[in-house]
Amino acid sequence: MYDLVIRNGKVVDGTGAPAYDADIAVKGNRIVKIGKVTEGAREEVDATGKVVSPGFIDPHTHFDAQLLWDGCAKPALAHGVTTIVPGNCSLSLAPLKAKHRMKLVGMFNQIEEMPLKAFKEGVVWDWETFSEYITRIRKGLAINVAPLVGHSVIRLWVMNEAATERTATDAEIAEMQGVLRECLDAGAAGLSTSYVDMDEKLLPVPSRYADAREVEALASVLGEYGRVLQIVPEFYDSDLTIARLDQLAELSLKYNIPTTFSPLFMNADNVDAVNRVMARVDEQFARGARVWPQVQTRPIDISFSFSVPSLLFMRFPSWYRIMRFGTPEEIIAFFSDADNRKKLIPEVAPLQGLWPTLVLRHVETDANQKYVGKTLKEIAELRNTTPIEAMMDLSVEEGLEAHFLSAGMGHNDDAKVAGLLNHPHVHIGASDGGAHILSFSTYGDTGYLFSHFVRDLNLMTVELAVKKITSDTAAIWGIPDRGLLKEGMIADIAVFDLSTIARGEEKFVNDVPGDGHRYVRDSHGVDTVIVGGGIAWSEAEGYQDVRGEVLPGVREMAAA
Amino acid sequence: MPVAQLSRVRKSILPLIEDDWSSIANRELPDLSEKDGVSSLQSWNLHVYMRAAARMGTGSNDILPSDVIFIEPPLAHG
Ligand SMILES: [Zn+2]
Repeated sequence: MYDLVIRNGKVVDGTGAPAYDADIAVKGNRIVKIGKVTEGAREEVDATGKVVSPGFIDPHTHFDAQLLWDGCAKPALAHGVTTIVPGNCSLSLAPLKAKHRMKLVGMFNQIEEMPLKAFKEGVVWDWETFSEYITRIRKGLAINVAPLVGHSVIRLWVMNEAATERTATDAEIAEMQGVLRECLDAGAAGLSTSYVDMDEKLLPVPSRYADAREVEALASVLGEYGRVLQIVPEFYDSDLTIARLDQLAELSLKYNIPTTFSPLFMNADNVDAVNRVMARVDEQFARGARVWPQVQTRPIDISFSFSVPSLLFMRFPSWYRIMRFGTPEEIIAFFSDADNRKKLIPEVAPLQGLWPTLVLRHVETDANQKYVGKTLKEIAELRNTTPIEAMMDLSVEEGLEAHFLSAGMGHNDDAKVAGLLNHPHVHIGASDGGAHILSFSTYGDTGYLFSHFVRDLNLMTVELAVKKITSDTAAIWGIPDRGLLKEGMIADIAVFDLSTIARGEEKFVNDVPGDGHRYVRDSHGVDTVIVGGGIAWSEAEGYQDVRGEVLPGVREMAAA
Repeated sequence: MPVAQLSRVRKSILPLIEDDWSSIANRELPDLSEKDGVSSLQSWNLHVYMRAAARMGTGSNDILPSDVIFIEPPLAHG
């Protein structure tokens, strides 16, 4: 008698080998048989006509805060994601001294667009060390978590205010190495750092005050454990990206560690630049360095309202400053003032090309419902004004709750993006899951990979797509016993229908603590998601078993 | 494996402690006067120079300890 049997599925096992028909039997948390299973089980899943694959691993997320109130990382689990990596981009929620909490919340708010209110109302701050944070999130964990520790946070722990003022002394670097060791012993999957991000005061984050010798000292500690270094390079410039990946390659070779960087976008105007970056990646791999560029599957769509600062306006100082530092009342007054408008309008001239495609997606008042779904250009014609004035007028009329969507802003040339996704040295990821919740949905990138690139465009095989987001990811991140359907492996499994799998429409929901909102996408075509041998989510019954673990696990466990 | 196997990319350095435009110019561009060296570096490193101009920098020194500093102009591509 087995605990669980998945019958009659098409097994895509994560190795890249052709799919085959088989049943899969599970005992406890492990796969014990793949083939014809005649014996019964306590629980059965009928996978007739469906793909059975390893659970997906999402290597670039910011679920750090959400995990404190939601151990499923909803809706990631429902999309078939069974393991997430939070703590990217130099930011994690531990280790963190009580006196630095609001500083870190400010950084999360600025960089990842996590609302301040969610931290204030959704979080009981009862940890300081990384180990205490892990203990805290482990309760109620339904999804596996392979957490990175953030370089900016380690720096803050050791150097306090000086973390954003200067390079570290030798003694401080030694102390940071000790703190990193403690985090790795407590289960951290690696270290993240950033070369581009700005804090809540629009000043560089702590990790940007580290010199190369500090980064190397931390990489040497990662080398003791063979764990990952993740960075955000200056992705807007290919020469800078190449200089960073060369820096990573040297660290990878010297300390024998895997490294990864993101984002890497393929746009109409940067094809040659991306090709140059990829040629360099190939050369570095040929030397034996592991430098994995992470590429996201979805195109860049940005939603915005003027109630929160938006990425879209970061380049336009007058707009960004009022959005970042103004109260709603101040922003409304600012937009209503004719003199201000004279200054604001010319500044966003580079956005000219957007107006014909920028769509009004949500308003609060009845009077403006008639414009929802129309482009700003169409609305401007109806209202006898210009698109940009219409955008400001609507925002004022709606108390800033007029929401706009700018779709297909980049990374949307299917053939070119598919070329990247198929590349053997490209690591598929970079979803940013759990971040930017008021700008776009960061969930469902795996559904989009299968619906768009595999099924609709036929630009990738299902076997390769599965391999790229399961066994490749587990291998890059050193996550043992997962990412493959093989006897003896842990039973993290996704059952989905290749003819219907997709990311749902983006929708604005109210499920963030502090009465907050976010953009999400439901999963379509995913039938059952199994974590550690238990059904964690099914289309029929929703969220169920709670068997998530912290990976790769505390050191003693990994060694045992 | 030797670095020589890598193709040529634009030359850059990572700053040493206390490095600023002048010290980098003197070390990396010894054939130029300090003044010419500094202005060359600034023109090749707008990602640093523009940030300082926008007062998004670090106080007295424009250069962050983590910055990549190019010590030559962009290579011709294509
Ligand atoms: Zn990120």
